[in-house]
Amino acid sequence: MTDPAAWLIFAPALALTGALINGLFGRALKEPLPGILATLVAAGAFVLSLIAFVALQGRDDPTVAVTVWPYLNLAGLDLSIGAVIDPLSVLMMLVITGVGTLIHLYSMGYMHGDAGYARYFALLNLFVAAMSILVLADSFLLMFVGWEGVGVSSFLLIGFWYATKANADAARKAFIVNRIGDLGLMFAMFLMVGVFGTLTIAEVNAEAVTMAFGSGMLALIGLLLLLAATGKSAQLPLQVWLPDAMAGPTPVSALIHAATMVTAGVYLIARTAPLFAMTPLASAVVAWVGAATALIAALAALGQTDIKKILAYSTISQLGFMFVAVGVGAYWVGIFHVFTHAFFKALLFLGSGSVIHALGGEQDIRKMGGLGAKMRITGTTSLIATLAIAGVPFLSGFFSKDAILVYTLTSMHVEGFGTTALYGVLLVTAVLTAFYMFRWYYGIFGGESRMDAKVEANVHESPLTMTVPLTILAFFSVVAGYVGLPKFAFPNWIYPWLDQATLGGLTEVPFHHPAVWVEWTLIGVSVAAAVVGLALGWWVYASREGEPVRSLAEGPLAALSRSGLGFDAAYRTVVIGGAEGSAEAVTVLDRDVVDRGLLGFGAALGFLGRIAALLQNGFVRAYAYAMYAGAAILVLVVAWLGVRS
Amino acid sequence: MTLLALALPLLGAALAWFLPGRLAVAGALVSGIATFVMAVFLPNMGSVSLAWLPALGAEFAFDPSGVRSVLVIAAALTMVPTLIAASRLGADRRNTFLALLLLMQTTLNGLFLSTDLIVTYVFWEATLIPSLFLLGLFGGEHRRGAVTKYLVYAITGSFLMLASILALRPLSGAASYAFVDLLPATRELDVVVQTWLFAGFAAAFAVKLPLFPLHSWLIDFHRQNHPSGVADVGGTLYKVGGFGFFAWAIPLLPDGAAAFQPLLLTLAAVTALWGGLAATQQKDFKSMLAYMSLSHMGVVGVGVFSMTTFGLTGAMFLLAAQMISTGGLFLASGMLHDRAGTFDFDAFGGLAKSAPALAALFLFTLFAAIGVPGLSNFPGEFLSLLGAFEATPWLGVVAALGSVVAAGVYGVNTYQRLFLGPAGERRSDVAGLDVLILAPIVAGILWLGLAPAPQVDRIEATASVAVVTQVEAPIPPSLALGGER
Repeated sequence: MTDPAAWLIFAPALALTGALINGLFGRALKEPLPGILATLVAAGAFVLSLIAFVALQGRDDPTVAVTVWPYLNLAGLDLSIGAVIDPLSVLMMLVITGVGTLIHLYSMGYMHGDAGYARYFALLNLFVAAMSILVLADSFLLMFVGWEGVGVSSFLLIGFWYATKANADAARKAFIVNRIGDLGLMFAMFLMVGVFGTLTIAEVNAEAVTMAFGSGMLALIGLLLLLAATGKSAQLPLQVWLPDAMAGPTPVSALIHAATMVTAGVYLIARTAPLFAMTPLASAVVAWVGAATALIAALAALGQTDIKKILAYSTISQLGFMFVAVGVGAYWVGIFHVFTHAFFKALLFLGSGSVIHALGGEQDIRKMGGLGAKMRITGTTSLIATLAIAGVPFLSGFFSKDAILVYTLTSMHVEGFGTTALYGVLLVTAVLTAFYMFRWYYGIFGGESRMDAKVEANVHESPLTMTVPLTILAFFSVVAGYVGLPKFAFPNWIYPWLDQATLGGLTEVPFHHPAVWVEWTLIGVSVAAAVVGLALGWWVYASREGEPVRSLAEGPLAALSRSGLGFDAAYRTVVIGGAEGSAEAVTVLDRDVVDRGLLGFGAALGFLGRIAALLQNGFVRAYAYAMYAGAAILVLVVAWLGVRS
Repeated sequence: MTLLALALPLLGAALAWFLPGRLAVAGALVSGIATFVMAVFLPNMGSVSLAWLPALGAEFAFDPSGVRSVLVIAAALTMVPTLIAASRLGADRRNTFLALLLLMQTTLNGLFLSTDLIVTYVFWEATLIPSLFLLGLFGGEHRRGAVTKYLVYAITGSFLMLASILALRPLSGAASYAFVDLLPATRELDVVVQTWLFAGFAAAFAVKLPLFPLHSWLIDFHRQNHPSGVADVGGTLYKVGGFGFFAWAIPLLPDGAAAFQPLLLTLAAVTALWGGLAATQQKDFKSMLAYMSLSHMGVVGVGVFSMTTFGLTGAMFLLAAQMISTGGLFLASGMLHDRAGTFDFDAFGGLAKSAPALAALFLFTLFAAIGVPGLSNFPGEFLSLLGAFEATPWLGVVAALGSVVAAGVYGVNTYQRLFLGPAGERRSDVAGLDVLILAPIVAGILWLGLAPAPQVDRIEATASVAVVTQVEAPIPPSLALGGER
């Protein structure tokens, strides 16, 4: 504990304490006390993360392992609970607690006057605790505690306004879909116990690289980890819960369903990078799942009319980019995009929250427009975030997205699995991203107002607790990318910081190194994608007269897009229908067949039926007889045996 | 000292029966708490044996080591809130209720601690009596049918087990019915003989576990028991089935167990999924709890029948944890019935508004029951499934579909139907005794969930684990999959 980096293990405890205090005594505390307490707790955790970050700088071996608690030890399987504080987990902690603190602060304004004010902050702290456990865990088992813990807090926060059935339904859907993914992590752990004899992440990684390259077992473990990752990160085929999760309060969408929890899948794969580096097959599946999700979600985002749902599909799509990155073997790039995305996506959501707040709960962008002039800070910061996610040069999103594109094209790890096609899909998605984000921004802030006069009269800029976080996030949305400039020509800080932590020097993932002019050309293509997308958006929505946003919200294609490309409907028919059908069949069989079971069988034999009839005549007496007879036989036989011996 | 585990609850039963009015309640509560305190120290106490029928090779021998005391502790921890809940019943028959609960604890403790097979059988049969009286005297309107069904299943199973017990000693030539005398002898029996004898034990234990398709008594049992939920907690027997396999049938007859393993493991996996699926479809809370328990018992089953150290240890841990978490939910069912007069889901909804503390406590217990890590059931469930996965991977998958995915579905469905949605009729929140009832449950859930190591170590140290895992070798271990290293 003399190592300041190790103090980070107190972050989850701190957050949990905050959750407990607000959970148990929050109702006795007056607003804004619960909010202040929770925000201070999050800020405290952020300070601990900063201390660890500084303490790790310049070390030869920047990994601090702390064993905290002997959870289990059985048959040679040591399941102690411990933390790993290394560049990867510390960077994640900085994002979780840093963005987290800002969102706590923002929530104090956003949740003002809500009947569940203290409960809200208790749950927000609980989430921070669970997420910290997830990223600090040194073993898959402890990670699983955080993994399900964030699922639980997400369930409670999506259904925060539980009196509305739709909200409770959305919470339930998120929990169940996540549990299906959790199954993957559980089975992966079972295989690891059998194959490696350990669940400690570092040991699994070290063992994995000693196995045969491309072995089927590693591919299977990798695919199971991917199943877990698709659940948490809302990737195909488990992406369906995230759009519904927007039922939660908007700051929750920003923190949990955009900036942090949904990146857990990317983190999981980066954390097990050495294992994935040994299995091109599983890696390629990761990349293709990511690319397909990125494209499908972008298509779904085109036709949405809900201010938050556009962003939800955008999040799914951006997570797809991150999956491609970790799939092609560029683990640090995946986390780099997690890092930049956290700022601009949190900002987009908080900006939405500010708008929803000002419009008294309105979420339909067809009833917005022209807000830029009335809400200067919200409008300006949202514009910055829009440009950042669209990939406009010199803003944060550009650098991380460009890195993903370049590394995808130059990957040797999954070279046989269509890297050029992956690149093409991502490039198209990048154009779409700029396009639908322009629609989002312009529909809300640009053009003429389409608001009701009554709503319009009340529009106001949000209070300082909300605009200060917006401004800070806007600042980082601009600068966050400069830690990872294209490394063929510029200094790049984040690559060495993360590369060591993900691959751990155990193995390497090779990439082609194209000539410098090719690198510059690729950057040019990335820029072009952003410009084309934004220009298309301007042409479709801004350059025409009339009602701009409605033009792509009608017609069969728009309806298909709005339905999320029909996944929900298909699952409702096939998966839920099948599951419910079998559950109903089980229930009927249980009642009509099994229930008759022994009695019916006995009656058929005539023997048990008679006992049953006898017992009907008065169970107490009959049972006494039965016991009597049993005991008598027992004593007689035992006595006989005893005499005989 | 070990005998106190029987003497204290028996004394309590007598006090509850003979003392008048409130004094009886006091007597019962004091003995319940004393039993729990004693149980905490039980693992450090020695074994005892008293001569009973030396000529017959039977003696009162009790041993608190290993899993035995873990189960006694969990039962004692659950009994305290159960007694408090029972003390709230109407004064006319309350004392009978209390006496039966404590009698139940006495016989259960006898069953858990006994190391003599004859004595075990006596307690095995004896546990039925208080359980049946609780159902027969305090049950719902269809209790007669439930009692009959319960008895037919139980007696059929017990009869077959009795035959096996009686045949065991003459066939093996063991010196007595003590576990230590039986063990070396019975293991030498011919595999065919072992298979027949094991079948007799399995009949009794599989009914009590219960294993699909022998479980229908369990559902009626819970549906018809007293709406306070007290008898569902204190009067249940199904924890004895898994223990019977673990402590007696499998170690004594390893070859017989090996012959039955594929069948039993399959049935247990089916039980876990079957119960989980059926639980999602129930229209009232208590039936849901019955099928949830069934699903949990399937997980216990796959753990035991995996016959691996992970599975066996996890299954016994899950038995202990399940007593506490499921017990808590049954006690909560009594509180809900107090407030609404029914278990029907349709009568509830939006309770979180008027009873937020009850909602929080309920959800906590429910999450423990569906295996959320960090809480009590998780270590047991994880290890049981791990064991099953090592023995037969696809059966581990089947069981996990029931205990992870289906559990997620019925878990959140139940919470939503009871507590979420538009605020319904105003109901009172937890207060006074409710808190006292749920506090030990919450404490137990955290205790087993956060620090499972001491109990796991105890269970692992139990002789039968070591004995059973010796037969692990012929079973193809996990290793089929890991072979390519």
